[in-house]
Amino acid sequence: MPTPRLDRRRFLVGSTALAITARPRGIFAQARRGEIIAGLSERMLTLDPANHYSISSTSVLRHVYDPLLDVTNDDRFVPALAESWRAINNTTWRFTLRKGVRFHDGTPFNAESVVFTLKRVRDNTKLIKSFVYQDIDDVRKEDDSTVTVTTKRPFGSLPAHLTMLGMLPPSAVGNEDAFFAKPVGTGPFRFAGWTHGDHIDLTAHAQYWKPGVPKVDKLTFRFIPELSTRAAALRAGEIHVIDRVWPDMVQTLKGTPGIKVLDTPAIEAQRWHFQLGRETWKDPRVRKAVSLAIDRNTIIKDLLLGYARPVICPVPPGLLGHANFGTKPYDPEKARQLLKQSGHQNLALDFVLMKDLYPKQLEIAQAVAAMLGEVGIKVNIRNLEIATAREQRTAGNYDLFFSGWAQMPHDPDWYFGQWFTKAGAEKLTRFADPRVEALIAEGRVPDAKVRQQKYEELEKILWDDEPEIWPYYTVAIYAISDRLRGFEARRDYYVLLHEAGIA
Amino acid sequence: MRGYILRRCWHSAVTLAGVSILVFVILRVVPGDPAKMLLPEGAPQSAVDELNRHLGLTEPLWIQYGLFLGSVARGDFGQSFQYRAPALRVVVERVPATVQLTLAAMVLTVLAGASLGVLAAVRQGTGYDYAGTVLAVLGQSLPNFWLGIMLILLFGVTLRWLPTSGFQSWRHLILPAVTLAAFPTALVARLTRSSLLEILGQDYIRTGRAKGLGEPRVVLRHAMKNALLPLLTVVGLQIGTLLGGAVITESIFAWPGMGKLVVDAIFFRDFPVVQTVLILSATIFVAINLVVDLLYTVVDPRIRYE
Repeated sequence: MPTPRLDRRRFLVGSTALAITARPRGIFAQARRGEIIAGLSERMLTLDPANHYSISSTSVLRHVYDPLLDVTNDDRFVPALAESWRAINNTTWRFTLRKGVRFHDGTPFNAESVVFTLKRVRDNTKLIKSFVYQDIDDVRKEDDSTVTVTTKRPFGSLPAHLTMLGMLPPSAVGNEDAFFAKPVGTGPFRFAGWTHGDHIDLTAHAQYWKPGVPKVDKLTFRFIPELSTRAAALRAGEIHVIDRVWPDMVQTLKGTPGIKVLDTPAIEAQRWHFQLGRETWKDPRVRKAVSLAIDRNTIIKDLLLGYARPVICPVPPGLLGHANFGTKPYDPEKARQLLKQSGHQNLALDFVLMKDLYPKQLEIAQAVAAMLGEVGIKVNIRNLEIATAREQRTAGNYDLFFSGWAQMPHDPDWYFGQWFTKAGAEKLTRFADPRVEALIAEGRVPDAKVRQQKYEELEKILWDDEPEIWPYYTVAIYAISDRLRGFEARRDYYVLLHEAGIA
Repeated sequence: MRGYILRRCWHSAVTLAGVSILVFVILRVVPGDPAKMLLPEGAPQSAVDELNRHLGLTEPLWIQYGLFLGSVARGDFGQSFQYRAPALRVVVERVPATVQLTLAAMVLTVLAGASLGVLAAVRQGTGYDYAGTVLAVLGQSLPNFWLGIMLILLFGVTLRWLPTSGFQSWRHLILPAVTLAAFPTALVARLTRSSLLEILGQDYIRTGRAKGLGEPRVVLRHAMKNALLPLLTVVGLQIGTLLGGAVITESIFAWPGMGKLVVDAIFFRDFPVVQTVLILSATIFVAINLVVDLLYTVVDPRIRYE
């Protein structure tokens, strides 16, 4: 067969045709394809969105279930299954739901799903999240796409909490074991399989309500608790993203071709709390002396290699309640004077740590011991297994407790309510201050402006009183393959891949 | 023989009952509140108390133990606190990974350990012997976590011959099995060498050689048969130990085995899972010991139990 001659005219016609036909292909090229594999630090325990407060589980399950609201990385609450919401009064919230959304099994999402999900989490007190929703008085369906929630007392943080609660179909009622063995949500991915302790497979939900999402066919979460192994899997090209990278691993990862390291200030502040039931620590001068003797910059620069930020307010920047009170000074001389004035010299301090919980915590505690030693406080570091450390705290057997607080769910009410009310702190820090307690209660209203004002006021009291040492804000570090597109390093440590693609 | 087996079974039952009481009591005596570990750090005390009530931890200890025994008799080991699923199911799901890793490591151990040991014994004082000794010393002295990470970096990251971690295919099994086998291989190699050397010096071996048997036949057929006895004991005990948990290897390779499961369960005070794993491991351990004792009679016909 003779080969057709390619003259100039034919070439032009042909290449134009090719260009025209290639355009739609270009569009298709952006459509869903490929697989993303993420390596998470924590093993997943359950597929029930109401039965855990694990960050890894929240990350995974956010892809299967949608909550009513989402929270952006800059702490804005945005619509998910609720198109809008508003507080009717201090104890009533109304949610208008997105129409036309279906669960993976085809059943429609509507007000009944919301009523079922909220009543379930409130009434089934076996569920881990149940205690948060005990203030809900009633959940009423107004019509198919409107739900009213009334609460026993003002519950301004309700929308924030709802970002962590995936909506379930009412069909789950009565056969929860079977349902959670193969759950359906309205999320961008369907549950495909779970090899316990190893990985979970999700496949794209083609009819997802958000156009253009998801961008990949398949999403796999592997559970690799050991950081060096997680990093090795990324470096070997087996996975595309890892979370919870420690500062001393950053250089190794940065030095690996094809790997990018991303970091962002987390919504977590380290907070080392005093045992305020002990006479010594009831004296604010002694607490201030400890605070003045700690060189926070050295900890941040030398031990955390710059992957932390100085604290300027108990609540990290960006969140409701944040204010700028300036950094705490380092002044060992003044610390010595304060100790002298208080009459507490030759102090001994039991510094309790929850073993292996925070990056570099033992080194940091040792550095703090040396710093406090400089002003005459002898520190006894007790690095205890987590359960034992918490038990010791309940029993009040500590002076200073090494801990951090991630401001989940992007709202400070939980932090204040737990740690700075008499009932909350009773078996923890023994903090009690009626002024602070009243401000916390007043700050529970839905009005964000009122809340900000109340929180600033109460934080000023805390900042001056120093019932805790706030040494630094944590930085969340992730490492990704350079093939991963559209990944955002989250401040809340979530690994969210709805909008991520793979090259 | 039958009487012996029955007696041993009775002893085993008593041992297991003792284990169950010990495990039950120790778990509840050590400090740490399961509900506090399940709930986030900022959960109010009322929520902690409520959850402990649901978990059945507010009953007196002897009632808890009685209920536990009653359920175990029905094959129900309780609900895992962490996984909110039957503890037995949570544990059994980890069995395939644990068995695969243990078997692979044991096969490696026996093959490599015995070969190295035999080689070192029959070539005593040569380079093979010294090389075998060096390998044995390394195998016993290199910490598992270091060896595991080095193998991952070399074969997973640099050469990319094998996957770094996970539980998916036979290729994923190689590195953890090698890591896990390093210690027992060295042990078996040393034991085989010394036990074989001792036997090779005995009269019946000289007789065998004198009547013209080839060296391989003398070593493998006649000497090895007797050298196998101490080896069997060690391998039996190692299987028990490995099944009970190869915690470090499992952690490094993100291998979803029982070792890591039980350590996490202890950490989070997931009593039902710890109880299930320990009672199952104790049962397996006891059973393997019994089988090994009985195997002696097969390997050495002179041993008889009455």
